[in-house]
Amino acid sequence: MTAMTDRGGRTERERRTATRTRTGAGPSWLRPLAVTALGALFAVPLYVVLANTFKPGADIAPSPASLPTRPTLDNLRTVMDRPDHLFWVSLTNSLLVTTLSVILLTVLSSMLGHYLARTHSRWGRAATLVLLSGLMVPPQVILLPITHVLRDFHLMATVQGLVLFNVGYYVPFGVFVFAGFVRSIPVEMEEAAAIDGASPFTVFWRIVFPLLRPATASAVIFFGVWIWNDFIDPLVILGPGNGTTVTTGIYRAIGQYQADYGTVFGLMFLATLPVLVLYLALQRHFVRGLTSGATKG
Amino acid sequence: MVTELRAARREPAPRAHLAAGRGRSRRARAALAHFGLFGTPGLLVYGCFVLAPVALSFWYSLTNYNPFNPHTHFVGLDNYRTLLHDQEFLTSLRVTTVLTVILVIVPNAAGLGIALLLNRKGWFYNAWRGVFFVPMVLSSVVVSIVWTRLLADEGAVNQTLGWIGAAPVGWLSDPSLALYSVAAIMAWQMLGFCVVVYLAGLQSVPDELYEAASIDGATAFSRFRHVTWPLLAPALTINTVVLLISAFKAYDHIQVITNGGPGSGTTATVAFLTLQTGFIANHQGYASAMAVVMLLIVATASAVVLRLLQRREVDL
Repeated sequence: MTAMTDRGGRTERERRTATRTRTGAGPSWLRPLAVTALGALFAVPLYVVLANTFKPGADIAPSPASLPTRPTLDNLRTVMDRPDHLFWVSLTNSLLVTTLSVILLTVLSSMLGHYLARTHSRWGRAATLVLLSGLMVPPQVILLPITHVLRDFHLMATVQGLVLFNVGYYVPFGVFVFAGFVRSIPVEMEEAAAIDGASPFTVFWRIVFPLLRPATASAVIFFGVWIWNDFIDPLVILGPGNGTTVTTGIYRAIGQYQADYGTVFGLMFLATLPVLVLYLALQRHFVRGLTSGATKG
Repeated sequence: MVTELRAARREPAPRAHLAAGRGRSRRARAALAHFGLFGTPGLLVYGCFVLAPVALSFWYSLTNYNPFNPHTHFVGLDNYRTLLHDQEFLTSLRVTTVLTVILVIVPNAAGLGIALLLNRKGWFYNAWRGVFFVPMVLSSVVVSIVWTRLLADEGAVNQTLGWIGAAPVGWLSDPSLALYSVAAIMAWQMLGFCVVVYLAGLQSVPDELYEAASIDGATAFSRFRHVTWPLLAPALTINTVVLLISAFKAYDHIQVITNGGPGSGTTATVAFLTLQTGFIANHQGYASAMAVVMLLIVATASAVVLRLLQRREVDL
């Protein structure tokens, strides 16, 4: 938001505050109080994960909501030292699948999104429509045939297979984000570079892609969060015993160690940490990405 | 691809024309190369892993395909006829409908309320906003396990009820209640998304409009009714369509929290039943018919909702 001044010489911010004060109904302490009460209620489950991660296992079942009065790192240690290396194997697989999928998705969908946003042909529009309709296909509709397709390519139960599935499944969203953003930037620069003899490849990577940074940031966050947290696709595609991601690993852990909730909470905490850090680091871009989308219409 | 090339040649080229004659076929070849380099990789993967499987689902649904009973033959619409009388499937349709209605309404309404509360500047509101966003980045498996612990018969919620003297409630073990508990858990997780979208929408409302309305003597309520609400139409559209599609996809929470129970199929959605029928019972032809019905319902519902909601969006 630019700091414009109105005729009275007030800045936008001052004017906004002035207006907002007038719009407020009720006493001024009511809003912070309501926000705090609702937020605290909403945050109970988040607190439970945090508190129980640092509690001795014996304290969890009798009083799941109490503070960790005897704080311990035993749960985290148990998770990391498990003899079957469940945590480390899951973490490696999740990192591999998420990183490869996000890189491939960003490259392919930004190129495709740019191409479709700039093409004037009827076929380009048709392709855009077909891609966008993929946004609503539930994974359950395609998972059965996917296992056959992957088996035909000898990719069933492999990380490559899961990555390719992710790329195919999330490309529509990427195209949606990138094509929308490309339409909002002027085409003249690209035309000028093309006249100067730059190839489409050079034009895209040297001129367009750097301008797409806000779109890239929000696409990377969405892809990263979705793929890291994905459950049913890795469960079906990686199959039993051939590898777990963090989510399927947690699911297996609750099956095996029904009683030992300390370990499960430790595992959940560690599995959530990377995506939480990514989100907190990029939160600004994430909100800005959504905001720009909503205001540009 | 030939048609693509022809279409590219017909387009009124926005680029400056170079030498006309020689440039023509060179431009066509360049357009084809451009499409090959930028268009094909993404479309190819999408075709292999989304379009082809959707087509295969349609095909399987017309057969009695079962990988452990390899006499696959064409059965026409038999699977669909069976679906009409399959009590399990009809129950799953009802479960999905109830879940969808709750999930479209509750996070939408609560998200709007919280966004209105949080629509202020300053570290205090930013910090709470961060809290409401966190469940969005949590895995549905993590959310499901935590809530299963909280809502268990001897879990924290019932313990709290015990302190105030209330009788324990079978949140997840009572067949008539479990679906609503699952819906509430999913609503809790999706609330953050709605808050983000509504906040973005609120921030795009020009202050001049509020100012003008205030000068005209509009009350806080009528300012909301006649300024904020109409201008939030795009945010409402996004939220409703995303919630609708997510509700139909509902699977992870069901598998982890209730596994379709308690009792027979009290929380089994169509998505859940499809995968159970396909992968556990191996009736893949029959499961594909369920998948096709689900796809048709999602497509129709989201097209209708999109059309209805976009009609009331206004241009500034």
